[in-house]
Amino acid sequence: MLRTVKPKNARSKRAMEARQPKEVEDARIAIFVKGTKTGEVLNGVMKDMMALKRPDAISFSKKNVIHPLDAQNTASGSSSMSSLEFWSSKNDASMFVIGQTSKKRPNDLTFVRMFDGKVLDIVEAGVENYVSMESVPGSKSTPGHKPLMHFASELFDTHPRFIQLKSMLMSLFNGEVVESIYLKGLEHVISVSLAPTPATLNTTTESATPLPKVHIRTYTTRLLASGSRIPRVELTPMGPSMDLVLRRHTNPDPELLKQAMRRPKLKKTDVEKGLGKKRKNLDVDEMGDLRGRVHVGKQDLSRLQTRKMKGLKAGAFEDGGDDGAGDSGSDDDEASNKKRKLS
Amino acid sequence: MDVSNILADHAEKIKSTEVETDTPLDVDAGFLTVTDPNPIDGESYESSLETHLLSLARTGTQALLNALFSLPTTSSPDGPLAQLPAPTTQLPRTKPLPKIKPLTKWEQFAKAKGIQGKSKEKREKKVWDEERQEWINRWGKDAKNKQVEEQWITEVPMNADIDFDPRKAARDERKARVTKNQKQHEANAARAQKTGSSASSNPEREAHKKDLERTLAMSRTSTASMGKFDRKLEGEKKMKGIKRKFDPTEGSVSAESKAALDLLSKMNSDARKTRMTEAQRPSKKSRTSHGGNEVEDPEGKVLNVRKAVRFASKGRGGAALGREREKAGKLGKSGKGKRR
Repeated sequence: MLRTVKPKNARSKRAMEARQPKEVEDARIAIFVKGTKTGEVLNGVMKDMMALKRPDAISFSKKNVIHPLDAQNTASGSSSMSSLEFWSSKNDASMFVIGQTSKKRPNDLTFVRMFDGKVLDIVEAGVENYVSMESVPGSKSTPGHKPLMHFASELFDTHPRFIQLKSMLMSLFNGEVVESIYLKGLEHVISVSLAPTPATLNTTTESATPLPKVHIRTYTTRLLASGSRIPRVELTPMGPSMDLVLRRHTNPDPELLKQAMRRPKLKKTDVEKGLGKKRKNLDVDEMGDLRGRVHVGKQDLSRLQTRKMKGLKAGAFEDGGDDGAGDSGSDDDEASNKKRKLS
Repeated sequence: MDVSNILADHAEKIKSTEVETDTPLDVDAGFLTVTDPNPIDGESYESSLETHLLSLARTGTQALLNALFSLPTTSSPDGPLAQLPAPTTQLPRTKPLPKIKPLTKWEQFAKAKGIQGKSKEKREKKVWDEERQEWINRWGKDAKNKQVEEQWITEVPMNADIDFDPRKAARDERKARVTKNQKQHEANAARAQKTGSSASSNPEREAHKKDLERTLAMSRTSTASMGKFDRKLEGEKKMKGIKRKFDPTEGSVSAESKAALDLLSKMNSDARKTRMTEAQRPSKKSRTSHGGNEVEDPEGKVLNVRKAVRFASKGRGGAALGREREKAGKLGKSGKGKRR
């Protein structure tokens, strides 16, 4: 904020405290902004994406002049940066989806990610072959449910541009760390796949070969009975589907990225649970119960104390009172021990 | 008995949940994400894009669901709740990590004693009132905490003061509690700030430190050899800027005599800057021309002796002052007298 705001009543104080940084963060709130000229396609795209992102999404109704990828030293570039920072702080939002269309870049969609009120990185892509949610018949998923995400291609692990895109999309849709979910609530999946990798594509250098297209499809899941506890899943297309062509991008500032990737120190309770290290000897059986294996060391049976085990004695089963015999026996032993000590 | 038919029928009905791929799919259950590191099959891509994408997605989702349904579950009224593990992919945070706040005074005490607070039972807003047989607010509108103040009649014990005002007493108690809580809150906040900020923010402490360092430096150089040949103690810092400038042995005579005379005049100028012995003072006294009552103070202020005596003795006079002093002298400071 421009100046530190002091809360005047308990409600505003609570609101301020909710915005303080937390160890485990909430989902990122995304702002959908329209540029000077959008167009039907982009309007639909942003509307559908907002529907998928609800309730953590804010849509700006007015058109704004914003060019986040302009150079910082130009007037438009620096003012765009300051607008983004201002909107981010006012709305407590950390992601932006900017839609703009121009002759040079038709149907241009820009994803901006923020950290600590500053722009972290930007990915720009062009939208092609857009199919809206309404045009696809069928039932849709309930808004507010978390989507499953699927990324298909080896480039998502190797190529830096696609690693960034995957990270950006995951931050946008699925970035929140949750402890538990209702398995019945997993209704839709967003599948992001690429065109086949061209042979000339090199992951390290910035080669001139065009990057493969990105296909984004959304499906609703239908769970069918199968032999085991795990159901078989069938997908039906739902929702927006589009193809993206990656255009420009910015890499995050290494210092800022380092700060952003800092993890909180593992608490002692978590380490005891086995969170820091890999959980060994634990597995879930068919009933869904957690089973553990306890490894007892090797026992030297030759040195086992069998004198004091009444059950092993020959006459144990013959007499009626096992317990009685046991008690008196042990008492005798102790008494005799005591006698020995006194003498 | 031919069971194969039945098995075949069964197999048709129940579809398998197996996922077969060249490279196993990378499932991040914490973020509900699955990544398929297998290269895209060009043929199936070319032939029919949508079916290819659908089958790819189905495979990936099946693998993800396999992992999700294998997680430990707890039952809840709405159905099975799967306990998600920590996510494997690292995503950048939105805001920086929160700063660790120091514990408040109570929290420190509770930790030391091992007191675990009543975490689950929070103070309910409603309290059961036996008299009225209904739930009343603990605070707020028509609340219990203001009952004594607001009720129209209060029982007062027999031994109470005539001026005892139960309303006022109750109100003062309540206000005192509020102010006490606020003070404790402020003290906690101040303590948190103090431990958080470094010493540079506290100017008094810094000034005191500087003073000490200066005194120490002075004492170290006040030896015969200006602190040069003294052994340094453990932990003492190295002296900075102690340089002694020696003039060349051969200089002009006039400059030397001028310097010596300047020094003398400086010594004579301000009585404050130099320490004068008793012997030196009379030279100053002879210069003054006041009346008999006034005495020139070494500091240069005129002292009216009669006025001073009148003030000290509270109008009784100098002889009375003298008598008082003797008495005080005999008894000693404590007034108990000398012990033998």
